[in-house]
Amino acid sequence: MERLLDEHLEKLKTRVIKMCSLVDEQVQLVSKALDEDNLELAKYVIEQDKKVDKFDLKIDKICQKIFALTQPVAMDLRLIMSSMTLNTDLERIGDIAVNIAENLILIEKKPDFYFQTKLPEMFSSAKKMLKNAIDAYINGNPELAKSVIHDDGEVDKLNSENHSILKTIMKQSPDNIEGAVALLVISRELERIADHSTNIAEDVFFIYEAQLIKHKYEKFFFEDSSDED
Amino acid sequence: MELVNKDIVEKQIGNSEKSSKLKVKVKDLDFYYSDVLALEKISMNIPSNQVTALIGPSGCGKSTFLRTLNRMNDLIDGVRVEGEIIIDGKDIYKSGIDVVELRKKVGMIFQKSNPFPKSIYENVAFGLRIGGLGNKSKSELDEIVELSLKQAALWDEVKDRLEESALGLSGGQQQRLCIARALAIKPEILLMDEPASALDPISTAKIEELIHELRKNYTIVIVTHNLQQAARVSNYTAFFYLGRLIEFDKTSKIFTNPSNKQTEDYITGRFG
Repeated sequence: MERLLDEHLEKLKTRVIKMCSLVDEQVQLVSKALDEDNLELAKYVIEQDKKVDKFDLKIDKICQKIFALTQPVAMDLRLIMSSMTLNTDLERIGDIAVNIAENLILIEKKPDFYFQTKLPEMFSSAKKMLKNAIDAYINGNPELAKSVIHDDGEVDKLNSENHSILKTIMKQSPDNIEGAVALLVISRELERIADHSTNIAEDVFFIYEAQLIKHKYEKFFFEDSSDED
Repeated sequence: MELVNKDIVEKQIGNSEKSSKLKVKVKDLDFYYSDVLALEKISMNIPSNQVTALIGPSGCGKSTFLRTLNRMNDLIDGVRVEGEIIIDGKDIYKSGIDVVELRKKVGMIFQKSNPFPKSIYENVAFGLRIGGLGNKSKSELDEIVELSLKQAALWDEVKDRLEESALGLSGGQQQRLCIARALAIKPEILLMDEPASALDPISTAKIEELIHELRKNYTIVIVTHNLQQAARVSNYTAFFYLGRLIEFDKTSKIFTNPSNKQTEDYITGRFG
Protein backbone atom coordinates (compact mmCIF):
# COMPACT_ATOMS: atom_id res chain seq x y z
CA MET A 1 0.00 0.00 0.00
CA GLU A 2 1.36 3.41 -0.98
CA ARG A 3 1.43 5.66 2.09
CA LEU A 4 1.40 9.43 2.25
CA LEU A 5 4.69 9.15 4.05
CA ASP A 6 6.26 7.32 1.11
CA GLU A 7 6.05 10.42 -1.03
CA HIS A 8 7.97 12.43 1.58
CA LEU A 9 10.52 9.65 2.03
CA GLU A 10 11.09 9.39 -1.70
CA LYS A 11 11.80 13.11 -1.85
CA LEU A 12 14.13 12.87 1.13
CA LYS A 13 16.06 9.97 -0.37
CA THR A 14 16.42 11.78 -3.70
CA ARG A 15 17.81 14.84 -1.96
CA VAL A 16 20.24 12.82 0.14
CA ILE A 17 21.44 10.96 -2.94
CA LYS A 18 21.98 14.27 -4.75
CA MET A 19 23.88 15.59 -1.73
CA CYS A 20 25.99 12.42 -1.74
CA SER A 21 26.95 12.80 -5.38
CA LEU A 22 27.69 16.49 -4.93
CA VAL A 23 30.01 15.88 -2.00
CA ASP A 24 31.64 12.89 -3.66
CA GLU A 25 32.32 15.08 -6.69
CA GLN A 26 33.86 17.80 -4.49
CA VAL A 27 36.32 15.30 -3.01
CA GLN A 28 37.16 13.89 -6.45
CA LEU A 29 37.73 17.39 -7.83
CA VAL A 30 39.95 18.59 -4.99
CA SER A 31 42.00 15.43 -5.31
CA LYS A 32 42.39 16.14 -9.05
CA ALA A 33 43.24 19.78 -8.35
CA LEU A 34 46.07 18.70 -6.05
CA ASP A 35 47.29 16.08 -8.53
CA GLU A 36 47.46 18.62 -11.32
CA ASP A 37 48.31 21.70 -9.21
CA ASN A 38 45.20 23.12 -10.80
CA LEU A 39 44.32 26.31 -8.89
CA GLU A 40 41.33 27.08 -11.09
CA LEU A 41 39.81 23.76 -10.18
CA ALA A 42 40.54 24.46 -6.49
CA LYS A 43 38.64 27.74 -6.81
CA TYR A 44 35.76 25.91 -8.48
CA VAL A 45 35.58 23.52 -5.49
CA ILE A 46 35.32 26.50 -3.14
CA GLU A 47 32.59 28.01 -5.28
CA GLN A 48 30.62 24.76 -5.46
CA ASP A 49 30.41 24.54 -1.67
CA LYS A 50 27.47 26.94 -1.72
CA LYS A 51 25.48 24.24 -3.52
CA VAL A 52 26.40 21.71 -0.83
CA ASP A 53 25.24 24.09 1.89
CA LYS A 54 21.98 24.66 0.05
CA PHE A 55 21.28 20.94 -0.10
CA ASP A 56 22.16 20.59 3.55
CA LEU A 57 19.38 23.04 4.43
CA LYS A 58 16.94 21.41 2.02
CA ILE A 59 17.44 18.02 3.67
CA ASP A 60 17.06 19.44 7.18
CA LYS A 61 13.86 21.14 6.13
CA ILE A 62 12.25 18.06 4.65
CA CYS A 63 13.18 15.97 7.72
CA GLN A 64 11.60 18.57 9.97
CA LYS A 65 8.48 18.50 7.86
CA ILE A 66 8.22 14.71 7.93
CA PHE A 67 8.62 14.64 11.73
CA ALA A 68 5.99 17.30 12.22
CA LEU A 69 3.44 15.86 9.83
CA THR A 70 3.77 12.10 10.02
CA GLN A 71 5.24 11.01 13.39
CA PRO A 72 7.32 8.23 11.84
CA VAL A 73 8.17 5.03 13.72
CA ALA A 74 10.44 2.00 13.34
CA MET A 75 12.37 1.79 10.04
CA ASP A 76 10.87 5.08 8.80
CA LEU A 77 12.03 6.80 11.98
CA ARG A 78 15.53 5.36 11.68
CA LEU A 79 15.77 6.40 8.04
CA ILE A 80 14.85 10.00 8.79
CA MET A 81 16.99 10.28 11.93
CA SER A 82 19.97 8.85 10.10
CA SER A 83 19.43 10.97 7.02
CA MET A 84 19.69 14.03 9.24
CA THR A 85 22.92 12.97 10.86
CA LEU A 86 24.56 11.68 7.70
CA ASN A 87 23.57 14.90 6.02
CA THR A 88 25.65 16.76 8.62
CA ASP A 89 28.59 14.46 7.92
CA LEU A 90 28.27 15.06 4.19
CA GLU A 91 28.19 18.80 4.71
CA ARG A 92 31.36 18.60 6.82
CA ILE A 93 33.09 16.56 4.11
CA GLY A 94 32.14 19.35 1.70
CA ASP A 95 33.83 21.86 4.04
CA ILE A 96 36.92 19.67 4.19
CA ALA A 97 37.18 19.66 0.38
CA VAL A 98 37.13 23.46 0.59
CA ASN A 99 39.86 23.48 3.27
CA ILE A 100 42.08 21.30 1.09
CA ALA A 101 41.42 23.55 -1.91
CA GLU A 102 42.34 26.64 0.17
CA ASN A 103 45.58 25.02 1.29
CA LEU A 104 46.50 24.27 -2.30
CA ILE A 105 45.83 27.88 -3.26
CA LEU A 106 48.00 28.98 -0.34
CA ILE A 107 51.04 26.98 -1.46
CA GLU A 108 50.20 27.40 -5.21
CA LYS A 109 51.97 24.18 -6.09
CA LYS A 110 52.41 21.03 -4.10
CA PRO A 111 56.01 20.53 -2.90
CA ASP A 112 58.19 17.89 -4.54
CA PHE A 113 58.35 15.86 -1.37
CA TYR A 114 54.58 15.28 -1.69
CA PHE A 115 55.34 11.89 -3.27
CA GLN A 116 57.49 10.84 -0.31
CA THR A 117 54.38 11.09 1.90
CA LYS A 118 51.42 8.73 2.21
CA LEU A 119 49.03 11.39 0.91
CA PRO A 120 48.34 9.77 -2.49
CA GLU A 121 47.41 6.54 -0.70
CA MET A 122 45.33 8.44 1.83
CA PHE A 123 43.42 10.20 -0.91
CA SER A 124 42.57 6.95 -2.58
CA SER A 125 41.55 5.25 0.71
CA ALA A 126 39.43 8.19 1.88
CA LYS A 127 37.72 8.45 -1.52
CA LYS A 128 37.03 4.71 -1.49
CA MET A 129 35.57 4.90 2.02
CA LEU A 130 33.31 7.78 1.07
CA LYS A 131 32.18 6.05 -2.10
CA ASN A 132 31.41 2.80 -0.26
CA ALA A 133 29.53 4.62 2.51
CA ILE A 134 27.41 6.36 -0.13
CA ASP A 135 26.85 3.11 -2.05
CA ALA A 136 25.84 1.39 1.20
CA TYR A 137 23.21 4.10 1.76
CA ILE A 138 21.87 4.09 -1.79
CA ASN A 139 21.73 0.31 -2.10
CA GLY A 140 20.76 -0.40 1.52
CA ASN A 141 23.81 -2.56 2.11
CA PRO A 142 24.78 -2.82 5.81
CA GLU A 143 27.59 -5.26 5.03
CA LEU A 144 29.32 -2.70 2.82
CA ALA A 145 28.77 -0.15 5.61
CA LYS A 146 30.58 -2.49 8.01
CA SER A 147 33.58 -2.70 5.66
CA VAL A 148 33.84 1.11 5.66
CA ILE A 149 34.00 1.14 9.45
CA HIS A 150 36.70 -1.48 9.28
CA ASP A 151 38.78 0.56 6.76
CA ASP A 152 38.99 3.59 9.05
CA GLY A 153 41.93 2.16 11.00
CA GLU A 154 44.05 2.04 7.84
CA VAL A 155 43.58 5.76 7.14
CA ASP A 156 44.39 6.63 10.77
CA LYS A 157 47.61 4.68 10.39
CA LEU A 158 48.56 6.50 7.17
CA ASN A 159 47.89 9.84 8.87
CA SER A 160 50.28 9.12 11.71
CA GLU A 161 52.90 7.86 9.24
CA ASN A 162 52.56 11.18 7.40
CA HIS A 163 53.27 13.02 10.62
CA SER A 164 56.61 11.26 11.08
CA ILE A 165 57.56 11.63 7.43
CA LEU A 166 56.72 15.34 7.31
CA LYS A 167 58.50 16.02 10.62
CA THR A 168 61.66 14.50 9.16
CA ILE A 169 61.26 16.59 5.99
CA MET A 170 60.82 19.77 8.04
CA LYS A 171 63.97 19.01 9.98
CA GLN A 172 65.92 18.69 6.72
CA SER A 173 65.44 22.36 5.72
CA PRO A 174 63.47 25.37 6.95
CA ASP A 175 62.42 25.93 3.31
CA ASN A 176 60.33 22.78 3.55
CA ILE A 177 58.29 24.01 6.49
CA GLU A 178 55.58 25.95 4.68
CA GLY A 179 54.80 23.13 2.24
CA ALA A 180 55.06 20.47 4.94
CA VAL A 181 52.64 22.32 7.21
CA ALA A 182 50.13 22.54 4.35
CA LEU A 183 50.50 18.82 3.70
CA LEU A 184 50.07 18.08 7.42
CA VAL A 185 46.80 19.97 7.32
CA ILE A 186 45.69 18.08 4.22
CA SER A 187 46.62 14.78 5.86
CA ARG A 188 44.54 15.67 8.90
CA GLU A 189 41.63 16.67 6.66
CA LEU A 190 41.75 13.37 4.78
CA GLU A 191 41.69 11.54 8.07
CA ARG A 192 38.54 13.50 8.92
CA ILE A 193 36.92 12.53 5.61
CA ALA A 194 37.50 8.93 6.65
CA ASP A 195 35.95 9.64 10.07
CA HIS A 196 32.86 11.24 8.56
CA SER A 197 32.54 8.38 6.07
CA THR A 198 32.64 6.01 9.05
CA ASN A 199 29.84 7.98 10.69
CA ILE A 200 27.77 7.70 7.51
CA ALA A 201 28.40 3.96 7.43
CA GLU A 202 27.29 3.68 11.09
CA ASP A 203 24.09 5.51 10.20
CA VAL A 204 23.44 3.15 7.30
CA PHE A 205 23.98 0.20 9.61
CA PHE A 206 21.51 1.70 12.07
CA ILE A 207 18.87 2.20 9.38
CA TYR A 208 18.95 -1.41 8.23
CA GLU A 209 20.00 -3.34 11.31
CA ALA A 210 18.47 -1.13 14.04
CA GLN A 211 21.69 -1.30 16.02
CA LEU A 212 23.78 1.62 17.12
CA ILE A 213 27.39 0.73 16.62
CA LYS A 214 28.82 4.16 17.31
CA HIS A 215 31.59 4.29 19.85
CA LYS A 216 31.74 0.50 19.47
CA TYR A 217 28.58 0.38 21.57
CA GLU A 218 26.76 -2.35 19.77
CA LYS A 219 23.03 -2.77 20.39
CA PHE A 220 23.16 0.15 22.83
CA PHE A 221 19.79 1.41 21.74
CA PHE A 222 17.57 -1.51 22.55
CA GLU A 223 19.35 -3.20 25.39
CA ASP A 224 19.71 -0.10 27.43
CA SER A 225 16.94 0.14 29.98
CA SER A 226 17.91 3.44 31.53
CA ASP A 227 14.98 5.17 29.84
CA GLU A 228 12.49 2.74 31.34
CA ASP A 229 10.45 3.74 34.28
CA MET B 1 2.16 -17.72 6.38
CA GLU B 2 3.38 -18.27 9.92
CA LEU B 3 1.59 -15.62 11.93
CA VAL B 4 3.20 -16.12 15.28
CA ASN B 5 6.83 -16.69 15.88
CA LYS B 6 6.46 -18.72 19.04
CA ASP B 7 10.06 -18.25 20.13
CA ILE B 8 9.73 -14.49 19.96
CA VAL B 9 6.48 -14.47 21.91
CA GLU B 10 7.91 -16.77 24.54
CA LYS B 11 11.06 -14.71 24.86
CA GLN B 12 9.05 -11.53 25.20
CA ILE B 13 6.70 -12.99 27.74
CA GLY B 14 9.81 -13.99 29.63
CA ASN B 15 11.09 -10.41 29.46
CA SER B 16 7.94 -8.88 30.87
CA GLU B 17 7.94 -11.51 33.59
CA LYS B 18 11.40 -10.56 34.68
CA SER B 19 11.02 -6.81 34.58
CA SER B 20 7.76 -6.41 36.44
CA LYS B 21 5.43 -8.19 38.83
CA LEU B 22 2.65 -9.99 37.01
CA LYS B 23 -0.99 -9.14 37.46
CA VAL B 24 -2.66 -11.21 34.78
CA LYS B 25 -1.40 -14.39 33.22
CA VAL B 26 -3.14 -15.56 30.07
CA LYS B 27 -2.37 -19.04 28.87
CA ASP B 28 -3.44 -20.66 25.59
CA LEU B 29 -6.66 -18.70 25.43
CA ASP B 30 -9.11 -19.67 22.67
CA PHE B 31 -12.32 -17.71 22.35
CA TYR B 32 -15.34 -18.64 20.23
CA TYR B 33 -18.40 -16.68 19.17
CA SER B 34 -20.55 -19.78 18.54
CA ASP B 35 -18.40 -21.66 16.01
CA VAL B 36 -16.23 -18.73 15.04
CA LEU B 37 -12.79 -18.76 16.58
CA ALA B 38 -12.14 -15.11 17.48
CA LEU B 39 -9.01 -15.55 19.57
CA GLU B 40 -6.52 -18.32 19.07
CA LYS B 41 -3.89 -19.55 21.51
CA ILE B 42 -3.27 -16.23 23.20
CA SER B 43 -0.56 -16.39 25.84
CA MET B 44 0.48 -13.18 27.45
CA ASN B 45 1.56 -11.84 30.81
CA ILE B 46 0.25 -8.46 31.85
CA PRO B 47 2.55 -6.75 34.33
CA SER B 48 1.26 -5.06 37.45
CA ASN B 49 1.11 -1.25 37.70
CA GLN B 50 1.94 -0.80 34.06
CA VAL B 51 -0.06 0.26 31.05
CA THR B 52 -0.46 -2.43 28.41
CA ALA B 53 -1.82 -1.30 25.05
CA LEU B 54 -3.60 -3.65 22.67
CA ILE B 55 -3.30 -2.62 19.05
CA GLY B 56 -4.29 -4.13 15.73
CA PRO B 57 -6.66 -3.57 12.80
CA SER B 58 -10.43 -3.68 13.26
CA GLY B 59 -11.71 -7.16 13.90
CA CYS B 60 -8.36 -8.51 15.09
CA GLY B 61 -9.75 -9.53 18.47
CA LYS B 62 -8.25 -6.90 20.74
CA SER B 63 -11.58 -5.74 22.22
CA THR B 64 -12.75 -9.34 22.56
CA PHE B 65 -9.53 -10.06 24.42
CA LEU B 66 -10.00 -7.03 26.66
CA ARG B 67 -13.49 -8.17 27.55
CA THR B 68 -12.35 -11.66 28.44
CA LEU B 69 -10.36 -10.11 31.28
CA ASN B 70 -13.49 -9.28 33.31
CA ARG B 71 -15.80 -11.78 31.62
CA MET B 72 -17.88 -9.11 29.92
CA ASN B 73 -18.24 -11.52 27.01
CA ASP B 74 -20.33 -13.82 29.23
CA LEU B 75 -23.24 -11.52 28.42
CA ILE B 76 -23.16 -12.62 24.77
CA ASP B 77 -24.97 -15.82 23.79
CA GLY B 78 -22.98 -18.74 22.49
CA VAL B 79 -19.51 -17.67 23.54
CA ARG B 80 -17.01 -20.26 24.68
CA VAL B 81 -13.64 -19.85 26.32
CA GLU B 82 -10.78 -22.34 26.51
CA GLY B 83 -7.47 -21.85 28.23
CA GLU B 84 -6.71 -19.91 31.37
CA ILE B 85 -6.78 -16.33 32.57
CA ILE B 86 -5.19 -16.11 35.95
CA ILE B 87 -5.57 -12.92 37.94
CA ASP B 88 -3.70 -12.83 41.22
CA GLY B 89 -3.31 -16.57 41.16
CA LYS B 90 -6.96 -17.41 40.43
CA ASP B 91 -8.33 -18.69 37.11
CA ILE B 92 -11.28 -16.37 36.46
CA TYR B 93 -13.02 -18.91 34.23
CA LYS B 94 -13.02 -21.66 36.85
CA SER B 95 -16.45 -22.54 38.25
CA GLY B 96 -17.28 -20.90 41.54
CA ILE B 97 -15.82 -17.55 40.57
CA ASP B 98 -18.07 -14.66 41.62
CA VAL B 99 -18.31 -12.59 38.45
CA VAL B 100 -19.62 -9.54 40.31
CA GLU B 101 -16.60 -9.61 42.60
CA LEU B 102 -14.36 -10.07 39.56
CA ARG B 103 -15.81 -7.01 37.87
CA LYS B 104 -15.30 -4.97 41.03
CA LYS B 105 -11.67 -5.89 40.88
CA VAL B 106 -11.43 -5.41 37.11
CA GLY B 107 -13.19 -2.17 36.18
CA MET B 108 -14.01 -1.07 32.67
CA ILE B 109 -14.18 2.21 30.78
CA PHE B 110 -15.91 2.23 27.43
CA GLN B 111 -15.39 4.10 24.19
CA LYS B 112 -18.48 6.22 24.65
CA SER B 113 -18.91 7.78 28.05
CA ASN B 114 -22.06 6.40 29.64
CA PRO B 115 -22.94 8.39 32.77
CA PHE B 116 -26.25 7.62 34.42
CA PRO B 117 -28.97 10.29 34.21
CA LYS B 118 -28.25 11.22 37.79
CA SER B 119 -26.22 13.84 39.59
CA ILE B 120 -22.44 13.90 39.36
CA TYR B 121 -22.26 12.79 42.99
CA GLU B 122 -24.70 9.92 42.53
CA ASN B 123 -22.85 8.67 39.46
CA VAL B 124 -19.69 8.19 41.48
CA ALA B 125 -21.51 6.84 44.54
CA PHE B 126 -23.69 4.49 42.47
CA GLY B 127 -21.34 1.53 42.47
CA LEU B 128 -20.91 1.77 46.20
CA ARG B 129 -24.63 1.93 46.80
CA ILE B 130 -25.55 -1.12 44.68
CA GLY B 131 -22.45 -2.98 45.77
CA GLY B 132 -23.68 -3.16 49.31
CA LEU B 133 -21.38 -0.45 50.52
CA GLY B 134 -24.22 2.02 50.69
CA ASN B 135 -24.42 1.57 54.42
CA LYS B 136 -21.34 3.74 54.70
CA SER B 137 -21.96 6.99 56.49
CA LYS B 138 -22.58 10.08 54.43
CA SER B 139 -19.20 11.48 55.35
CA GLU B 140 -17.44 8.26 54.31
CA LEU B 141 -19.28 8.28 51.01
CA ASP B 142 -18.43 11.97 50.51
CA GLU B 143 -14.80 11.15 51.10
CA ILE B 144 -14.75 8.33 48.53
CA VAL B 145 -16.57 10.45 45.95
CA GLU B 146 -14.12 13.31 46.44
CA LEU B 147 -11.09 11.03 46.28
CA SER B 148 -12.36 9.26 43.15
CA LEU B 149 -13.09 12.55 41.41
CA LYS B 150 -9.65 13.83 42.39
CA GLN B 151 -7.99 10.67 41.08
CA ALA B 152 -9.90 11.13 37.84
CA ALA B 153 -8.64 14.74 37.66
CA LEU B 154 -12.21 16.04 37.63
CA TRP B 155 -12.69 17.34 41.19
CA ASP B 156 -11.64 20.93 40.57
CA GLU B 157 -14.05 21.23 37.66
CA VAL B 158 -17.12 19.80 39.41
CA LYS B 159 -16.67 20.32 43.16
CA ASP B 160 -19.16 23.21 43.24
CA ARG B 161 -21.86 21.43 41.28
CA LEU B 162 -21.88 17.86 42.51
CA GLU B 163 -25.65 17.80 42.63
CA GLU B 164 -26.05 18.86 39.00
CA SER B 165 -26.87 16.30 36.32
CA ALA B 166 -23.88 14.41 34.94
CA LEU B 167 -25.39 14.78 31.48
CA GLY B 168 -24.55 18.49 31.56
CA LEU B 169 -20.82 17.75 31.54
CA SER B 170 -18.72 17.91 28.37
CA GLY B 171 -17.75 14.69 26.61
CA GLY B 172 -14.26 14.71 28.13
CA GLN B 173 -15.63 15.42 31.60
CA GLN B 174 -18.21 12.64 31.23
CA GLN B 175 -15.47 10.20 30.34
CA ARG B 176 -13.44 11.24 33.39
CA LEU B 177 -16.59 10.90 35.48
CA CYS B 178 -16.92 7.32 34.24
CA ILE B 179 -13.33 6.76 35.26
CA ALA B 180 -14.11 8.23 38.71
CA ARG B 181 -17.14 5.93 38.94
CA ALA B 182 -14.96 2.94 38.15
CA LEU B 183 -12.33 4.04 40.67
CA ALA B 184 -14.86 4.49 43.49
CA ILE B 185 -15.26 0.75 43.93
CA LYS B 186 -11.47 0.42 44.28
CA PRO B 187 -10.60 -1.86 41.39
CA GLU B 188 -7.08 -3.18 40.86
CA ILE B 189 -7.22 -3.43 37.11
CA LEU B 190 -8.76 -0.93 34.70
CA LEU B 191 -9.76 -2.03 31.22
CA MET B 192 -10.19 0.81 28.76
CA ASP B 193 -11.76 0.28 25.35
CA GLU B 194 -10.74 3.25 23.22
CA PRO B 195 -11.44 5.68 26.06
CA ALA B 196 -10.48 8.80 24.14
CA SER B 197 -11.56 8.02 20.60
CA ALA B 198 -14.65 10.24 20.79
CA LEU B 199 -12.87 13.16 22.44
CA ASP B 200 -11.21 16.34 21.20
CA PRO B 201 -7.37 16.67 21.44
CA ILE B 202 -7.40 18.58 24.75
CA SER B 203 -9.73 16.10 26.45
CA THR B 204 -7.70 13.28 24.93
CA ALA B 205 -4.53 14.74 26.41
CA LYS B 206 -6.22 14.92 29.82
CA ILE B 207 -7.28 11.27 29.63
CA GLU B 208 -3.75 10.31 28.60
CA GLU B 209 -2.23 12.24 31.51
CA LEU B 210 -4.74 10.57 33.77
CA ILE B 211 -3.76 7.11 32.51
CA HIS B 212 -0.15 7.99 33.20
CA GLU B 213 -1.06 9.05 36.75
CA LEU B 214 -3.36 6.08 37.45
CA ARG B 215 -0.67 3.63 36.46
CA LYS B 216 0.98 4.15 39.83
CA ASN B 217 -1.93 2.48 41.61
CA TYR B 218 -3.67 0.40 38.96
CA THR B 219 -2.84 -2.09 36.26
CA ILE B 220 -4.23 -0.69 33.04
CA VAL B 221 -5.05 -2.46 29.79
CA ILE B 222 -6.10 -0.18 26.98
CA VAL B 223 -7.40 -0.87 23.50
CA THR B 224 -6.64 1.93 21.09
CA HIS B 225 -6.72 2.50 17.37
CA ASN B 226 -4.49 5.50 17.79
CA LEU B 227 -0.96 4.19 17.50
CA GLN B 228 0.59 7.42 18.72
CA GLN B 229 -1.60 7.16 21.78
CA ALA B 230 -0.44 3.61 22.41
CA ALA B 231 3.16 4.81 22.03
CA ARG B 232 2.60 7.74 24.38
CA VAL B 233 0.72 6.10 27.24
CA SER B 234 1.77 2.47 27.42
CA ASN B 235 4.72 0.58 28.80
CA TYR B 236 3.93 -2.63 26.93
CA THR B 237 2.22 -3.15 23.60
CA ALA B 238 0.54 -6.22 22.20
CA PHE B 239 -0.14 -6.43 18.49
CA PHE B 240 -3.10 -8.60 17.48
CA TYR B 241 -3.91 -9.74 13.97
CA LEU B 242 -6.62 -12.13 12.81
CA GLY B 243 -7.31 -13.29 16.34
CA ARG B 244 -3.71 -14.05 17.19
CA LEU B 245 -1.13 -12.30 19.27
CA ILE B 246 1.64 -11.49 16.83
CA GLU B 247 4.02 -9.61 19.07
CA PHE B 248 4.13 -8.48 22.69
CA ASP B 249 6.98 -6.40 23.99
CA LYS B 250 8.01 -3.17 25.60
CA THR B 251 6.35 -0.27 23.79
CA SER B 252 9.72 1.36 23.11
CA LYS B 253 10.83 -1.79 21.32
CA ILE B 254 7.61 -2.24 19.35
CA PHE B 255 7.74 1.33 18.03
CA THR B 256 11.44 1.48 17.28
CA ASN B 257 12.43 -1.98 16.24
CA PRO B 258 9.64 -4.55 16.20
CA SER B 259 10.74 -8.15 15.80
CA ASN B 260 7.92 -9.16 13.51
CA LYS B 261 7.53 -7.91 9.95
CA GLN B 262 3.74 -7.74 10.30
CA THR B 263 4.05 -5.54 13.37
CA GLU B 264 6.44 -3.26 11.50
CA ASP B 265 4.06 -3.07 8.52
CA TYR B 266 1.13 -2.26 10.79
CA ILE B 267 2.75 0.42 12.92
CA THR B 268 4.30 2.12 9.90
CA GLY B 269 0.89 2.16 8.21
CA ARG B 270 1.68 -0.25 5.41
CA PHE B 271 -1.47 -2.24 6.12
CA GLY B 272 -4.50 -2.12 8.38
